[in-house]
Amino acid sequence: MSAQLPTLLSSLTFLTFLMGPIFAIGLINRTKAIWAGRKGPNLDQFFFDLARLLKKTPVYSETTSWIFQIAPWVVLTTTVMAAAFAPIVPGFSLFSFPYDFVYFAYLMAMGRVFIILGALDTGSSFEGMGASREAGFSALIEPALFFAIGTLAILSGNTSLETLTQAGAPGSAAAGYAIASRFFIFFALFILLQFEAARIPVDDPNTHLELTMIHEVMILDHSGPELAAVQYGSALKFVVLAGIMAALINPIHGPIHGPIHGPVQDPENGLLSFAVSLLLIAAICVLIGLSESLMARFRLKTIPRYATLGVLAAVLGLAFALLGNGGPL
Amino acid sequence: MDLILASAIILLLGAVLGLALPGNTRRVWSSIVSQLIASVLILIPTIPILLGGPDIRHEFFWSFPVNRIGIHIDALGAFFLSFSLPMTLLGTIYALGYLSPYFDKKRHAGIHFAILNLVSLSFILIYTVENAMVFLLGWEIAALAAWLAVIWDYKNQKIRFAGFNYLVSTHLSLLFLIAGFMIMGSSAGSFDFQEFQKFLGAPSILRNVTILLLLTSFGLKSAYFPFHTWLPRAHSAAPAHVSALMSGVIHKAGIYGILRFTLLMGTPDRWMGWTILIFSTISALMGVLYTATQRDLKRLLGYSSTENVGIVGIGIGLGYLGLYWHNPVITALGFAGAILHVLNHALFKCLLFYAAGAIYRMTHTIDLEKLGGLLKKMPQTGVFFLFGGLAISALPPLNGFVSEFLIYQGLFHESVPELSARGFFIYGAAMLALVGAVSALSMTRSFGITFLGKPRDSSITCHAEAPLSMRFSMAVHLLGMLIIGFMPFIAIAWVTEPAKLFLVAGGMKADVLPALANLQNAVSPLTKIGALFMAALLAILSLRWLMLPRSNRRHVTWGCGYSVANPRMQYTGSSFSEQFVSVFRSLLRKVRRDQLPDGPFPGDGYLNTHYVDAVEIKMFKVLGEGERLIELWMSQLKDEPRFAFGLGLFFLITLALVVVGR
Repeated sequence: MSAQLPTLLSSLTFLTFLMGPIFAIGLINRTKAIWAGRKGPNLDQFFFDLARLLKKTPVYSETTSWIFQIAPWVVLTTTVMAAAFAPIVPGFSLFSFPYDFVYFAYLMAMGRVFIILGALDTGSSFEGMGASREAGFSALIEPALFFAIGTLAILSGNTSLETLTQAGAPGSAAAGYAIASRFFIFFALFILLQFEAARIPVDDPNTHLELTMIHEVMILDHSGPELAAVQYGSALKFVVLAGIMAALINPIHGPIHGPIHGPVQDPENGLLSFAVSLLLIAAICVLIGLSESLMARFRLKTIPRYATLGVLAAVLGLAFALLGNGGPL
Repeated sequence: MDLILASAIILLLGAVLGLALPGNTRRVWSSIVSQLIASVLILIPTIPILLGGPDIRHEFFWSFPVNRIGIHIDALGAFFLSFSLPMTLLGTIYALGYLSPYFDKKRHAGIHFAILNLVSLSFILIYTVENAMVFLLGWEIAALAAWLAVIWDYKNQKIRFAGFNYLVSTHLSLLFLIAGFMIMGSSAGSFDFQEFQKFLGAPSILRNVTILLLLTSFGLKSAYFPFHTWLPRAHSAAPAHVSALMSGVIHKAGIYGILRFTLLMGTPDRWMGWTILIFSTISALMGVLYTATQRDLKRLLGYSSTENVGIVGIGIGLGYLGLYWHNPVITALGFAGAILHVLNHALFKCLLFYAAGAIYRMTHTIDLEKLGGLLKKMPQTGVFFLFGGLAISALPPLNGFVSEFLIYQGLFHESVPELSARGFFIYGAAMLALVGAVSALSMTRSFGITFLGKPRDSSITCHAEAPLSMRFSMAVHLLGMLIIGFMPFIAIAWVTEPAKLFLVAGGMKADVLPALANLQNAVSPLTKIGALFMAALLAILSLRWLMLPRSNRRHVTWGCGYSVANPRMQYTGSSFSEQFVSVFRSLLRKVRRDQLPDGPFPGDGYLNTHYVDAVEIKMFKVLGEGERLIELWMSQLKDEPRFAFGLGLFFLITLALVVVGR
């Protein structure tokens, strides 16, 4: 069993990234529906939506150039590539190399750049508005990700995304400080998730004609397969970030694995850890669904402040990590 | 050595021919050909040095104040020579197309091209000599040549002002440099760099003062914040190739200066590392915030230079701290990242300026509020600009990512010895991430507004693609970017020898090999991942093409039910960044002039907003009001004649004491 574990875990992780987006969206919508007293669509409804879109013939705006046509596919590619670096089980991802988290962050940025360019290509004032907001808000939240990564690097003593989420060697950090630090990092990543995946209170994924929208208004002109690519891409981005968060709080530590970390250790817990992570991802989906049901969207003026909150939470996490390691304070 | 001398002579010859030959076309070609030969002659001896060969040493003797002129090309000088001359050549080729409308006029275009030859010549002086006097000579040639090249369109008063502004700034930098050289010269008793080494190698208060003077001088030269005020003016006034060369190549001499004196110093103090790191982070951040606000494409690119030298500076600061800690890995990552970013910046910044120049050449404007939809008119220039923009935002798999990746690795490295430093480095990394994200915003803004959508001003027409020589220069730069981006091991091989110098100078000779091997290992995954990324993208695109429904169905952009949308309703450069910039209102200064339509029968109205340089405004304010402040102070003193007399006497006596005391 232990020899095949990496292969098994790889296939399971791959399947999660393949199917996860569909069920994650289903779960969020179901949560919101139940909260609102409705029955809600099936959990796999998103799959049928995508299938329908893929069969449709796209219509392109007369204003657009080739940028508009390739942008959705670049977005999809970058997200798929980013998923390859992301762990679901702590310490295990499909792909890893030292400091791959920088690559991960910049891949996400690459996807964002192309979705913005696609929006600007239409020459629509609505899409320009969404593009402007997406570019600005995502820049404001970007430091949170790097503070979080740096904190986790100190806590775990590791240097690649898959192993960042592991707890450090026993005794390397005072346990209380480490827990506090992880709590704040989780909070920061949750806010980051709301920004990146365009969820309430930052953005509303359900309407797209209001002047207050960000992500949905950028894809007004996309249709057919292109729309499917963008929608699947953003759902995948959600699962990737939720997977990292799940790995961060997963109490069962799976195998320490990866090209730089040598052979698999502690193989028994791998599958159990994976199952726990899946449950945690589902829990994050429910949490998102609940927060969408309970909160209204923020006013646009408030969103930069909310981004600052995310950055501050990550900085607090860093402070606790430094304290726990006998830092400067 | 003979080859270096020969290339200098050929450059001079090309300049003379450029002045003397009849006919502008012949003059231009004499400059291009002489630069081509000179570049080849320079590359022949410098490439072996970069591959680990022995340094070139030679000496000349001159009469009294100069004495010995040592010529010494080590890996650092070789590195700067190896890209400066070829890139100046490319700029000259670009100028062939850019200035071609002037060639059949009466104007003597040869002067401009002779100046470009002199720029190349000044590189040979600056990057090879070991004598402070001759170094200053090269420095001054570069400064004056750049000034003369900036004021190509000298009949325009604004351009003369920008040129004068640059001339003053660059000479302020020279003043600091001379002061630093004088301290070193009088302490060492010679103006030879090798003698400086003894003075710089031993910690002293005077050394600290000297380093501060040198950092100020080189900071002014390379346009670090807050010494950048001359830069956006000069860059928007100069012809595109001159802006490109100034930003990408000529002002890299400032970085060279910092690096050269670091080598002479050996092991720096701790405060120097932190000073450079903090100033550079601020520089990167402020530079990039300004890029998000500018309307003028070339001004925007100018500010982006301040941002990028900031990133270079973060690498240098990291290297300084690595030297101080005697940590070979961090030293190598810092300096290699910084040096590689110098090259990368030269590659993509020149490309972007060239593309901006192509836009100006074909549409006669570079105002972001007016342009739009150029990708259909200038498809190739559009692709060049897009790649330049992606690379400058450090997006993988292009070259900008490689150097920033090295710097990030240094900042996140687990071998940072002090925990507090680790904490601060994470702050630095987060700021660098913010810089990257804002840079992505400005580049999507500048590309998206100029090349996508529809023209925002119907009076602007563009009929054709830019001339071939302009596209040729851009294509070569793009090729360089792709090579570094997809085959980073080549880039690392290019900067390995220069980085090694710092390890040796810092007394870490024993650890050179593992630290350099770590550099190669650091980027080796990027090759595979870059290829994988392209393969994945191609696979996805071809699957989409083959399997999914295609169509040529076209319709108007969905206007959300509004049916008379017109191009002027599109988002413009200003509106695109307004949301983001409003967060940083306190740091950036917006000027707004308006006369809004009012009343039941509104007359003509206008609204004009733009962002001015807060530092420059402040500086002019202090300069302008300084006199008034002193006057105010003096007039108050006048009311107390006895006190004023006492104060005057006090200063006189103090002065006398100082004079007598010597």
